[in-house]
Amino acid sequence: MTPGRRFRIYLLEARFQVVETLREPMFAIPTLTFPLIFYLFFGVIMGARGVSLAVPTYVLATYGVFGVLGPALFGFGAGLANERDTGVLLLKQTTPMPAGAYLFAKVMAALIFGAVVVAALFLMAAHAAGVALYRWQWFALAGVLLAGVIPFCALGLAIGAWARGRSAVAVVNLVFLPMAMLSGLWLPIYMFPDVMQDIALALPAYHHAQLALKVIAMDAGQSVRMHLAVLVAETLVFLAVAALGFRRADSFSMRRSR
Amino acid sequence: MKSARHLVGRSLTWLVVGVAIFTGVLATLPVPQAAEGPARGVPEETFAIVDVTAFDGEAFRQGWDVWVEEGRIRHAGPRLDLPDDLPRLDGRGHTLIPGLIDGHVHSFPSTLGDALRFGVTTVLDQSTDPAFAAAVRPAREEVGRGTGADLFSAGMTATAPEGHGTQYGIPVETLTGPDEAAEWVRARKAEGSDWIKIIYEDGSAFDMEIPSLDGETVAAVIEAAHAEGLAAVVHVSTFETALEAMAFGADGLVHVWRDEVVSEADARRFAEADIFVVPTLSVMVPAEDSDVAELVRETDEAMLSAIQRQTLSARFPGGLAEGGDVAMENVRRLRAAGVRLVAGTDSPNPGTGTGISMHGELRLLARAGMGSAEALAAATSVAADAFGVAERGRIAEGHLADLVLARADLEEDVSRSHDIVAIWKDGYLVDRAVASAGAGPGAEIARAPAATLVADFEDGFEASFGAWDVTTDKLTGGSSTANVAVRDGALVVTGEIAPGTAFPWAGVIWMPGEQPMQPVDFSGREATRGDGRQYSVMLISSAEPAGPPPTMTFIAPEEWTQVEIRLEDFPTATPEVIAGLAFVAEGPVGTFTFEVDEVEVR
Repeated sequence: MTPGRRFRIYLLEARFQVVETLREPMFAIPTLTFPLIFYLFFGVIMGARGVSLAVPTYVLATYGVFGVLGPALFGFGAGLANERDTGVLLLKQTTPMPAGAYLFAKVMAALIFGAVVVAALFLMAAHAAGVALYRWQWFALAGVLLAGVIPFCALGLAIGAWARGRSAVAVVNLVFLPMAMLSGLWLPIYMFPDVMQDIALALPAYHHAQLALKVIAMDAGQSVRMHLAVLVAETLVFLAVAALGFRRADSFSMRRSR
Repeated sequence: MKSARHLVGRSLTWLVVGVAIFTGVLATLPVPQAAEGPARGVPEETFAIVDVTAFDGEAFRQGWDVWVEEGRIRHAGPRLDLPDDLPRLDGRGHTLIPGLIDGHVHSFPSTLGDALRFGVTTVLDQSTDPAFAAAVRPAREEVGRGTGADLFSAGMTATAPEGHGTQYGIPVETLTGPDEAAEWVRARKAEGSDWIKIIYEDGSAFDMEIPSLDGETVAAVIEAAHAEGLAAVVHVSTFETALEAMAFGADGLVHVWRDEVVSEADARRFAEADIFVVPTLSVMVPAEDSDVAELVRETDEAMLSAIQRQTLSARFPGGLAEGGDVAMENVRRLRAAGVRLVAGTDSPNPGTGTGISMHGELRLLARAGMGSAEALAAATSVAADAFGVAERGRIAEGHLADLVLARADLEEDVSRSHDIVAIWKDGYLVDRAVASAGAGPGAEIARAPAATLVADFEDGFEASFGAWDVTTDKLTGGSSTANVAVRDGALVVTGEIAPGTAFPWAGVIWMPGEQPMQPVDFSGREATRGDGRQYSVMLISSAEPAGPPPTMTFIAPEEWTQVEIRLEDFPTATPEVIAGLAFVAEGPVGTFTFEVDEVEVR
């Protein structure tokens, strides 16, 4: 396959993935609007414009993480499980399309939806809550937030590889909402009891949020390297778990077809 | 395959458009004002404005270059030989005028900044709290970045017990007879009064009866002022008292009268006596008949402080007395007779706004027959000469670089004076966005002392004014702790942030007021700085009675570093009113240590 052809396939598959996701309002609406509604409530209204910008600035970073987390987890976790259940995945596997294009498309879709949420959050923070950041901070924060799709897609992939069909949505929700809360995405982590703060240390969203908060100098003061190391390690673990899941599913379907 | 190609193209287009929009959004998001700096391409401190129409204080000069060096005008004239590396601003099409001088104001902490934002770089105050004047006067001697107009002031005014001038709640020592005049003037001189202001007002022009000094006492005060080498100006509101004041030898009148139209012959007598008049048409002509409303409409609201908006919309109780037309006619006739006229607004009286009304006064003077150059001279060089204010009011060698660059050709139309490209005070660009606003609710607002150094911790935990204390979130039910110690000439703050409240904090607070948390007005002060280290530190300023205080954050690295925070950057309506400045650690939970040294509020 020529590189040009390969590129076209990757691009088209990504396009179809985005279009398909858009046509599924059950997914698109909550992942796009929840972070915005949360921000409107906790950042703009509770943040009380003109009194202190500490709150709207802080939650901008954490709801940004929340906004990137949603599309990645749901697109990969629920989407993949669903496509496997309905046979769409099997159908795609029979085409000459490289498996990489399928994964690339899903990552791109998560990235694009994440970017839309981030842009909308930034606009709301700037114009409704009055948040002002240095130019480099706006770009760095956006960059850090969007980079979060990598560990979160890996986590979604792991879930999608093991969970089946409808139960995948439940599993994703069970991971998504508690992780968001325990990682301090809704309320600052230091407001929680110690035990919950210890749990946060194990969660990828916590480390990602800390990196985002570091850009605006509102993080907990732990080292960047530690956060990165945890994120890389967990991403690798998720990928391994996903690979195991696929291997099990393959042998299972082979046995069934026999 | 054709349709697939088509889709590939469309997808790529979408991708590119999406990335462009995303980048565009990020590139246009707001940034903190301080980060952009006041410059925006306009030079300051040492620079030249080239090929500009300059009004030098007397006449318009075409094609001038004005060379500013370290806050003063080094040279001004046609086609100067300027160094190649000198930053320059092309002035073509614009008009450069000296910073305006308002010949009749009353000053409060917020008014100096309000004046400066509208190009009034010097105010001639005709009575205020002498302690305030004494605290602010020294700033006029400093050439450097400031946030207020230079103040020259009569300080306390001479009036009778219960007389006009005693009703404003500022301290006034009244006079009861001519024998007290000499001692009273000496006391003013000792307080630093730049000239003597006398009230000669019995209220008859306003159908009121107000106790007034008698003519003898007015004459005695004028004489005593001259004996002390001070000029004496008189507040009058009737033609009769104006004639008397002239006969007593007053140097100037700080209002025109509106009870009677002056005859041409009498107008000539004023000219011959060489007495100057500050007509203050802004408070003679009802605001509805002046152009003030139009000026406000054409002014970016962000430039008007809360106090300016309030005084502009206020009206004299019962409305202005009749006679605006008479006042205008008197100005016309005095001008025709050659009497020196000084532009002044009597702001912030009802219907005026400090600074902005100066542009209304220029319009009124033009309406009374003055040409552009004449009106601008009344607001610059004539005012400076009348009150003996040096180095101001002219674009001339050695003068302070107090400059206003007007967008339009003012020679043609002086009513465009409010359309300003840039204002420089002492060569430094003036930030035109509002920094000042009104008083915080409730508490009486004290005035800030002139000193800027709050504490250097060389001799312990003492502040040079105000007081330091520990502050923690116990106020809101938290349990964080802080301890302070002075070690090696620095304030060492240690403590622990504990969970238990929404936004925990602990640290030290400096309260400038005499009572704890009494708000103090710091308008005109630019920044505070602390040397902090080792931990993330937050700074809190508060005039609000409730809610979390406005906060600015900065990072304190291991090594000593100077941190400068602009008061006006605080997200609050009243950044110049400070009840307390706190240096605290906030979340996350844990212990902290930081050190503070050399705290200054400027």
